[in-house]
Amino acid sequence: MIQRRLWLVVVAAMAMAGCSTATNSPSSGANSPGKVGGDLTIWVDAARLPVAQAYAKAHPGVHADIVTFDGDGNGATTLQTKIQLWNRTGKGWPDVIFSEQVNDPVWMAQKPFDFAAPVKDLIPQDVLARWPASSTAQCTINGTQYCVQDNLAQVVLWVNKKLMDQFHYAVPKTWQEWASLGEKVAREHPGYIVGNIGDSFSHWIYLWGNQCPLSQVNGTSVQIAATDSHCTRVAGLLDPLIKNGTVPPLSVFTPDFAQKYGGADDKVLLMPGPSWYAQAVFDQALHMPAKQITAAPPLQWENETPVTTGQVGGGPWIMSRHSTNLTTAADFVTWATTEFNPSGAESRPGYPAYAPLATKWLEQQAANPYYAADPTPALKAAADQIWPGWNLVSYPDQPVWSTSVVTELVAGKPLSSLLEPFGKALKQAAQAAGYAVN
Amino acid sequence: MRSTSTAEADAPAVGAGAPAARRRGGHTWPGLAFVGPYLPFLVAFGVLPMLYALWLAFTDDAGGWAGFRNFTRTIGDYRFLPAFGHVLLYTGVWLGSLVVLVVGLTLLLHGRANRVSSAFRFLFYIPGALAGASSVLVWLFMLDPTVSPGSFLVRNVFGSHLFVESIAPGKLPFIFAMIAFWTGAGGWIVIMYGALNTIPQELEDAARIDGAGPVTIALRIKLPLIRKWIAYMVILSFATGTQLFVEPQLVNQASLGLVPDTWSANQLAFQLAFRYADFNAAAAVSVDLLAIGLIAAALIVTRTGLFRTDD
Repeated sequence: MIQRRLWLVVVAAMAMAGCSTATNSPSSGANSPGKVGGDLTIWVDAARLPVAQAYAKAHPGVHADIVTFDGDGNGATTLQTKIQLWNRTGKGWPDVIFSEQVNDPVWMAQKPFDFAAPVKDLIPQDVLARWPASSTAQCTINGTQYCVQDNLAQVVLWVNKKLMDQFHYAVPKTWQEWASLGEKVAREHPGYIVGNIGDSFSHWIYLWGNQCPLSQVNGTSVQIAATDSHCTRVAGLLDPLIKNGTVPPLSVFTPDFAQKYGGADDKVLLMPGPSWYAQAVFDQALHMPAKQITAAPPLQWENETPVTTGQVGGGPWIMSRHSTNLTTAADFVTWATTEFNPSGAESRPGYPAYAPLATKWLEQQAANPYYAADPTPALKAAADQIWPGWNLVSYPDQPVWSTSVVTELVAGKPLSSLLEPFGKALKQAAQAAGYAVN
Repeated sequence: MRSTSTAEADAPAVGAGAPAARRRGGHTWPGLAFVGPYLPFLVAFGVLPMLYALWLAFTDDAGGWAGFRNFTRTIGDYRFLPAFGHVLLYTGVWLGSLVVLVVGLTLLLHGRANRVSSAFRFLFYIPGALAGASSVLVWLFMLDPTVSPGSFLVRNVFGSHLFVESIAPGKLPFIFAMIAFWTGAGGWIVIMYGALNTIPQELEDAARIDGAGPVTIALRIKLPLIRKWIAYMVILSFATGTQLFVEPQLVNQASLGLVPDTWSANQLAFQLAFRYADFNAAAAVSVDLLAIGLIAAALIVTRTGLFRTDD
């Protein structure tokens, strides 16, 4: 029976990865080193499928085999299990992978996975230099850069300008103003929300941005202090809002959320969230009409400076050290991150990490008729405010947050009481991944 | 890892089967001919992987003898006890409902007129046509109050107004047991019905003449005679139950990670092998499962006299 069950999983996995598409352009035969062309296997999530398809179309000499997968989103371990399998069989590695998980290069660069190829000699140094330093730092493991980020995922405050004007509310500048507005909304306009906390990445929005020390790496040890005052004060601020319904413990990607808060009469008044929310969440998931949403700068804690914010994503492109066609792989990654920039509805979902492309993208977004007001000043400002005190680790922390906090919030427990178990569960995950915890 | 798919191949004989068929010897060749095509598969996909797992479980990654270190190491893992706890609770709930409901429904059906009973047998069998992964996907919709055709039940019986409430950690063993019950129950009802059909009509008639009603006949005559079949169902289902994998794995993805990817013991073994590259630890967890399955089977076999041929 176990064989049958495993077989079913394989079938399910194949169905999920079933969108494998290959262009019909003739294969240019053997992969010759130093020349762009030949076979190229690319693994992407659904959001990155257009860029892979566009590259294949623009490069008829490249025989691209594009495979879509779950993207390793929400802390999945799809890629770890796949790479283990490829390593064991000694074949099957794709040439390029896009991961939704910003920490994936950390383990990909190390044993036992040993998958990622250093980018130094593959992409010219003058091109690499134009990624922001903080982005390059997240791709640098033990002194070597192993990836380039597709986009920056800085958290801003998304504002429904139409509703705010209609209700005569001022856009909050601090977390305290935001919280008191939440109390006010619960009284005056019940059913409307000022945020949400049910996503697998909600801790990156509320805790990362507020400097909660949950992921501070020092060599092979990691410091996890879930009951630090930076964490408890945020929990104390959020608990009344979770209770009064203005910050529901629901994921923005669930049908429940779309039904309750989305659509034409949307109930999202404010929402702290990453730069890619405009397209992926408000437009495509919630079907919020145009001319409603815009971005405001990240919220400040009282009058503390500098203002820091969180990050949700910043997905990296990783090339395989097993690839026999690294020239083409590098050409694709460079094209995808520095050139691909369609306009209109097909525009890139996130803020490009490559600075010159970000400038062009911001110009496009400023003129994008979907927004109620120009969101670009806030997005641009937030790009430099991501708190650097949160280091990337080899284990995913999203499942830990989901299973130890979100399920309990749904059951009605206050966040303040869940920080300690969350910290404990994070420590266990860190230790299982081989870190010393202090 | 082992194969439990011999279900139909070695089903026990029931009631007063022809005694000649039970005599050892003389009938070796036809027996071998039946078992022959299955044997290579049993060896290749059942016995050899099991031996490999045993070897891995008692060695370290360099191939040296490790004794019970892999076992103590995995038992100490913070996910080990929750995973086995989940699986045992699930298996208990599922087996309990399977035995009570399958046997109960079959006995009820067997007392009905033939046409009614075959219609019901077909009805019960239909959910089983949706095997494994697909039935989980259907159930995910059934349990989502916003889209479920039975949203009234989901809201008022389960008390779930949101999908995340439907798959709350405390409800999961029961949800998985329900999914497994409906995919498997129909098939077992058909098998049990077949078992009841082997009971000679004279026995029933004699009981009726002695004044036994339908309930007494069902409980005192029919039930003891299909005892071995029930034991057989419990053994196979116990093994299947402890090896739970597909259901929690799919719900893990569908819930965007709300259900841990090490919810069941088999998932933990999978993660240990393919995420931590610790095949020895994974093998140790598999051997734990094998041991639990074997102990349970041994208990049931000795308690019910499953293989006793002269009763």
